[in-house]
Amino acid sequence: MISRRNFITSIATGVAAAAMLSACGKSGGSAGGGTVENPTVLNYTWWGNDDRAERTNKAIALFNEKNPTIKVVGTFTDWAGYWQKRATEAAGGGLPDVMQWDLSYLRDYAKRNQLLDLSDVGVDLSTFDKTLLPSGRVNDKQYGVPTSTNAFAIYYDPAKLKEIGVAEPTGTWTYAEYKKFLTEAGEKGAGKYNGSTDFTGIWWQFNIWLRQNKIEAFTSDGKLGFTKDDLRKWWNLAADLRGTPAIISSDKVTQLLPKSPFGSNKTVSEATWDNFMAGYLADSGASELKMVPVPSDDPDNLGLFLKPSMLMVASAKTKNADAAAKFIDFMVNAPEVGEIFKTSRGVPASKTQRDGTTFDGVDAQVVAYEDSISKYLSDAPEPPIVGFGTLETEFLRIQEELNYGKVTVDQAVDQWFTSAEDVIKQNA
Amino acid sequence: MTHTQAPTRRAKSAPPQRNEKLKLRRAESRAGYAFLLPWLLGFFVLTAGPMIASLYLSFTNYNLFEAPKWIGVDNYVNLLSDERFIQSVKVTLTYVVFGTPTKLLAALAIAMLLNSKRRGQGFYRSAFYVPSLIGASVSIAIVWKAMFGDAGPVDQFLSFFGIGLGGWVGNPNMTMPMMILLTVWQFGAPMIIFLAGLKQVPAELYEAAEMDGAGWGRKFASITWPMLSPVIFFNLLMETINAFQVFASAFIISGGTGGPAGSTMFYTLYLYLRGFGDFRMGYASAMAWLLLIVIGIITLIFFKTSDKWVHYSGDEK
Amino acid sequence: MGRSLKTLAFHGVSLILIAVVLYPAVWMIASSFKPSSEIVGNAAIWSENFSFDNFIKAMDGIGGISTLQFFGNSLFLAVASVIGVVFSSTLTAYAFTRINFPGRKFFFTMMVMTLLLPFHVIIIPQYIVFQQVGLVDTYVPLLLGKFLGAEAFFVFLMVQFMRNLPKELDEAARIDGAGHIRIFCSIMLPLMKPSIITASIFAFIWSWNDFLGPLLYLNTPDKYPLPLALRLFVDQTQSSDYGAMIAMSVLALLPVLLFFLIFQRHIVEGVSTQGLKG
Repeated sequence: MISRRNFITSIATGVAAAAMLSACGKSGGSAGGGTVENPTVLNYTWWGNDDRAERTNKAIALFNEKNPTIKVVGTFTDWAGYWQKRATEAAGGGLPDVMQWDLSYLRDYAKRNQLLDLSDVGVDLSTFDKTLLPSGRVNDKQYGVPTSTNAFAIYYDPAKLKEIGVAEPTGTWTYAEYKKFLTEAGEKGAGKYNGSTDFTGIWWQFNIWLRQNKIEAFTSDGKLGFTKDDLRKWWNLAADLRGTPAIISSDKVTQLLPKSPFGSNKTVSEATWDNFMAGYLADSGASELKMVPVPSDDPDNLGLFLKPSMLMVASAKTKNADAAAKFIDFMVNAPEVGEIFKTSRGVPASKTQRDGTTFDGVDAQVVAYEDSISKYLSDAPEPPIVGFGTLETEFLRIQEELNYGKVTVDQAVDQWFTSAEDVIKQNA
Repeated sequence: MTHTQAPTRRAKSAPPQRNEKLKLRRAESRAGYAFLLPWLLGFFVLTAGPMIASLYLSFTNYNLFEAPKWIGVDNYVNLLSDERFIQSVKVTLTYVVFGTPTKLLAALAIAMLLNSKRRGQGFYRSAFYVPSLIGASVSIAIVWKAMFGDAGPVDQFLSFFGIGLGGWVGNPNMTMPMMILLTVWQFGAPMIIFLAGLKQVPAELYEAAEMDGAGWGRKFASITWPMLSPVIFFNLLMETINAFQVFASAFIISGGTGGPAGSTMFYTLYLYLRGFGDFRMGYASAMAWLLLIVIGIITLIFFKTSDKWVHYSGDEK
Repeated sequence: MGRSLKTLAFHGVSLILIAVVLYPAVWMIASSFKPSSEIVGNAAIWSENFSFDNFIKAMDGIGGISTLQFFGNSLFLAVASVIGVVFSSTLTAYAFTRINFPGRKFFFTMMVMTLLLPFHVIIIPQYIVFQQVGLVDTYVPLLLGKFLGAEAFFVFLMVQFMRNLPKELDEAARIDGAGHIRIFCSIMLPLMKPSIITASIFAFIWSWNDFLGPLLYLNTPDKYPLPLALRLFVDQTQSSDYGAMIAMSVLALLPVLLFFLIFQRHIVEGVSTQGLKG
């Protein structure tokens, strides 16, 4: 039993501890230039696992060593928590100075004046491919600088294909050939393996297909660039495969989550970004996975592009814009940083960093893939419209209902357009 | 209530003096507010302000970044034609109606089973509480999926009786039973509260009843139930409110999507996705206040009917 | 004979129930010894590849911060929460049940009302309050509410238990001239032991498992409690280490289980042992 005296002492201790903690919590970040004795404190935050935390801490230590007047303080959370925390901070007006960012959220925050224009604060942008920079640009202001790129690919597992006696794809294929490949793999997989997950459920592959048909997903004034017919065509593309072994059922996909069917060795192929290679290898335990370009009915237009796998941004309210720019420049351009991260963020985006990094093993494979498709690449997409996150989740959700047979393609198309129009109206 | 009893008794022994009485009442008030002070501070600083703020936001268009724009009752009106909102109401109601009573019955049954002086009680109590410890962990998603997946223990058990349903996890018709079993499985908290309540029942009452030759049923009906009624009331109210507000398990199990096919799109999950996913905090606040009103009415009904069956031995006899 | 048969039946029933209820826990513990690739979607308990690798990985820490530090932070928060909750909820419940003052009913209603609002919508306003006074990235926002009874569940729990304590006791004390402070400390608190223990257990466990509060209010990884650290093993955008996550979940379970084991026995000592004879 807690005696009265103990009780009161404990409370006193608690209160004192709380007061002490609050005193310690106030950081000494002062405006203006820092000195070696009293460096400018710069907060940097990122999402990712412990591997990324380790690499990022290494990069920060290197930066702090080279810039003794600046002290970068790093913080990190997981992906899901990251965005809720940023939203809360933005509402309170206290975003960290520098942040790792995702393309999907760039326009949301830029349009609401939360991010700093990095055009002329001292980040060297000349090292970037001209086709890549528009992806960090909103209303002609460079709010984000890509750290790294990824490209879309079809993964396959050569060992599994050999096991079931299906020929490896060559990478020059039409959608009809792609579907034939999936069907054959599904049939010969005989219950052990399916061909792939339903590729029409992936927004970005739809985006690539639109480009193959010379359609941009969004107009520059923030509206949809495609029609209901386009989406109907797309979702109908896999209509004859749904419910067959070519495509793994949504039922199974849900059971395997959070792992992917490909990573769980349930499918022989998967359409996704090339920087997932390391994750897939780890999840599946496969000794080798290969990548080929997406199918296209126009062999000269694969609709492919490099997408920034992540960007660096600064808060519009940062008191240390110069220091922030210096740090961002270091993170995207310094060859040493490339050496630290390799391809774990994607292939380094700036030429200096890409050239200054030695790639081997899986890293070399990813870089080789991006080199192999370089002749097909067109401009990186502009940051998607405000509310894109919602559209992408809706795309996945409605497509899932389609796979469960809860809606027809026509109903699915109507549903998606209804919510898209709602989002666009909401953010107009 | 009887709180003024002591002062009046004392007043009776002395000649009736209104001043004296008034002074006592003032002293009583002062004592009341002194004891309530921490809570009052917390209420005004941490709760009342944010609550009023959210009420205001529910009448606005608020995207977290820009100043809220007043739009009147639009958010509330739009809710009524939002299909996903209606789906979330259905999902949540099913969960509350089936999950809460089952969980409480399980908790009460186990608490009574464990409320005897036998060896190994500490072990049993702890063992039965373990699910509630695991249930809050992120790992539960993986654990639960293994249990209810294809050829998982549940599937195998049912197949043994010829009811092969396959995996529940990916079947939109079976995810609700799965979620209900998840909450029933975590009966530890109400069980502990029931146990603590049972322990507060004076053993003399049972001894006296046993001497009168009362059986198990009579003892339950005339001692356990009435003596436990404040605690039953508490558990019922809390578990109902919690079930309406279930978020963590829904978020963890579906990875925040409410899937498959919207079958676990709980009310608060949808509210969260609207507020933090779509940055429509005004809309989310309207949802929150609608929920508050509904739970408020249910709570009111609980309190009103509680006079009939909840017995407080601390109150007037 | 009849008695021992009953005891046997009791143990039999209990053990069967426990086997069912604990199966998922056993699976979880077994999985913490398996390689990541054998965990997800695999219902089997046994594996050929049992090893301690996951635990070694989990104890390695994250981003240069040792796992013990996360444990320490969690422990501090949990213990402080218990103190805060017991302090504020007993005081408040005493005011609501044993003192007659104007406004009591009103505030009681308000207290119940605070239970009803989903927490997601008060997050933003609450965050702004703490940010304005510069308390973000301290433990204060996580603990202040506990010391000020903002968690109505505990207040209400105490009220329900306190209302059920016979009033004759404190009335007798009042006639003897005892004030509220004395009645509270020397009569109520000892009698409330089972419910105080109950509240402590919940306060400890809930603080131990709390994810959202620390996520929003803490920035410096040094200050992170376990649930935040735990999630860093599984990142949707990178490879995930389910083995390490489950191993850390199992490790994180031990302190709460221990806490529970120690304190649950105190619930057993009921009112009747406290010399309560009217």
